[in-house]
Amino acid sequence: MAALSLSASAGEALVLGLATGPVCLATCGPVVVPWMLVQPQGVRGHGRQLFLFLAARLAGYLVFACAVWLVGSAIPHALPQSWTGRSWLMGGIQLLLAAAMVVYAVGWPHRRCAAAKTADALVQIGETSVPKRSGALALGFLTGINLCPPFLVAGFRAAQLAHLSAALLFFLCFFAGTAIWFFPFLSLGFLKRTPEVIIVARMVAILLACWYGFSGISILIERTFHG
Amino acid sequence: MASRSSALARPPAFRGIGRSILLTLPIALWSLLMFMPSFQHAGRDRHISALLVILFMTTLFFLMMRTGETYRWRRIFFVAMGFLFPFGFIAALVAERGTMSIPISRMVSGDTPFCFMVTPSLLLPAAFARTIIFPGSILPTASNPHSIAAMIGVWFAMTLILGKAWCSYACFFGGIEEGFAAFPKRRRLHRFITRFGAYLRLIPWAILVFVVLASAALFEPVYCMWLCPFKAVTEFPAVRNVTTAVQMGIFVALFVGLVVVLPYLTKKRTQCGFFCPFGAFQSLFNKINLFEIRFDREKCVDCTLCQTSCPTVALSKESIREGKTLLNCMKCGACVDACKKDAAVWHLKGTPVAVKPERARLLFLYGAWALATMMGGSILANSVATMVHWLPWK
Amino acid sequence: MEVKEKRMRTRILSILAYTGAGLTLVVAICVPFVLFQVFTNVVAHVGLHIDPAYSGGTVARTIDRGGYRIVVYQPVQPRLLERIEPFVQIVFEPADALPARVTDEIDLDGDGRPDVRVSFNLPADPNTPLRGDVTALNATYISLASVGGESFSRMVVRTGNKIVVRVPLNRGTVH
Repeated sequence: MAALSLSASAGEALVLGLATGPVCLATCGPVVVPWMLVQPQGVRGHGRQLFLFLAARLAGYLVFACAVWLVGSAIPHALPQSWTGRSWLMGGIQLLLAAAMVVYAVGWPHRRCAAAKTADALVQIGETSVPKRSGALALGFLTGINLCPPFLVAGFRAAQLAHLSAALLFFLCFFAGTAIWFFPFLSLGFLKRTPEVIIVARMVAILLACWYGFSGISILIERTFHG
Repeated sequence: MASRSSALARPPAFRGIGRSILLTLPIALWSLLMFMPSFQHAGRDRHISALLVILFMTTLFFLMMRTGETYRWRRIFFVAMGFLFPFGFIAALVAERGTMSIPISRMVSGDTPFCFMVTPSLLLPAAFARTIIFPGSILPTASNPHSIAAMIGVWFAMTLILGKAWCSYACFFGGIEEGFAAFPKRRRLHRFITRFGAYLRLIPWAILVFVVLASAALFEPVYCMWLCPFKAVTEFPAVRNVTTAVQMGIFVALFVGLVVVLPYLTKKRTQCGFFCPFGAFQSLFNKINLFEIRFDREKCVDCTLCQTSCPTVALSKESIREGKTLLNCMKCGACVDACKKDAAVWHLKGTPVAVKPERARLLFLYGAWALATMMGGSILANSVATMVHWLPWK
Repeated sequence: MEVKEKRMRTRILSILAYTGAGLTLVVAICVPFVLFQVFTNVVAHVGLHIDPAYSGGTVARTIDRGGYRIVVYQPVQPRLLERIEPFVQIVFEPADALPARVTDEIDLDGDGRPDVRVSFNLPADPNTPLRGDVTALNATYISLASVGGESFSRMVVRTGNKIVVRVPLNRGTVH
């Protein structure tokens, strides 16, 4: 009976993820597109980066699942959907996401050989650049805890489950349903990476960071003045 | 509208009057055909405005043929359209409802006239959800002849012919900044434009991608709601709360900055070249358009007069070395008219470069001017009719 | 031989180019007479519709009130991240057949029980801004007090010869 109940909620989570995938895509797609366009061309490389992104996103999902189940089990009734605290959280996460996008758009930090600065005539021998921090983990985690509407629906549902493991399984299946919608982004690996494409991608990331930042600040201001 | 570019340009090479008249004849006949309904049905205001516009368009084309120059005469038409369109549009709004703002009741009744600049924002929702995220009507109605189907139809038909030359012959907003760019004699911020031009001309592409993604995610026309400078001179959602007040502030700031101040300072079309996402979208159609501007490397002396004269920084040293313009070339003809060595030429794709360039120019101009007369001429006629209607001694 | 081939290729390309340019001119001439209508019809028949946030959605039922009709629409839910509240549109038409004071209890979900009470005074001058009240008779709907054109989800406005009322739904409601 318990196994049946568990598989039923897993099925429900998978279907919820598949059905609400477009909303996840709308929330997180604008983050993924410019970020991927800055990565070097190649489907394999993109696959690796997307895997890291989704893994970090799953980590975010599971962290949220734990938190929401613990809160749900501490409070006798499920959290009301009009829980005002979520606005503070949403605003804060959107600001963090905006900041992360600016860092990874402007920087995509990597170190050069120090000697290369002193003389242009120096010939570079061997591999000198440190592997770039692509931002897959940071952006993946932040989008994983971004409180979009279907995420909240899944959260409230998971909070009602009897065991923590059930909540984690629920979110794992929900993640699987939404992750399927991200695979078409692999096709960005075929796009030629001219310097212009990379510059435009960085600009788009900055514009989107401004949008997320504006959205986050608006939410926080509204919460401050309207309670 | 004298400008520094005329000092840089080579002196016009006058062609014979008889030849020029002969070449102008098709355009004169076309203009008469386009405005025939005005003479048959409309009142005296319309007769006068139609006649003036026919003379205006025909005379400008004749001067293009006579002098061999394109940019200067095209610009007169384009600036006239740019300033007269808002005049006529605002006059019609004020006459109808006493205000430029669109009340929400008009948006829900589908009476908002469609503007082509929202087209890129509509693509993804239309493709995936068959939904048009614009408060208009698909088919023309009595209260809204500028329906979505009609405007997209016009835009698509004209874009097939013009490519990005839409921005030089059809966009009734571009003429405003081209007008402000024409006023001053001296070019300022030249070093800034030269140094950062390569980045500045990529901004429209970034805004295009941003607007397309954001519009698809939010299911609203983000460019129209937040970024259109021309809302300041057409119509805008009524200010009814803090959000709409912020939006209005952005529209006015962008208009003053990008359409008035920066073109005046730089003598460039800064909104078109460094901001407009619709312009970036139109650039894609240059790939399939048959007409372009090329450079004869044997004649070119790398004086960069063409680069200086280009209003949208569509030329770089590398592209000139390759004998081409960049993808965002609007085919305005400024570089061709500025080049003293006749190295910059009109070109028909598939034909040898610099062999009979005048033929390519003519073929392009006939199509472009015919469409300009059809669309821009109608806009001019409407506005002139409004002015004539208001004349006190009528 | 190679030179001859190159000349032949150049010639063929030129012919194609000039043919294309000529066709472009023909297309330009056809735009106002033929192509404009063709493209308009194509766009109109592709099966697109206006976003229900603007159009109000599809008609669910019509209620006849003798002199006038009340048209009830299907509920409209926000798509993706669309920033509107879910709402139901109600249209009173024709406006010139309405009494000076309208107070109507309307069944929106077709269960036989009234769901909202709409009341407004109809100004004699159609250009005078309209304001109205909506009283929710169950928890599915949200009441509105003295509302005009506040937002796409909350309004009592006159458009032409119709009165358009939009009643917001409580977000937790499933339809």
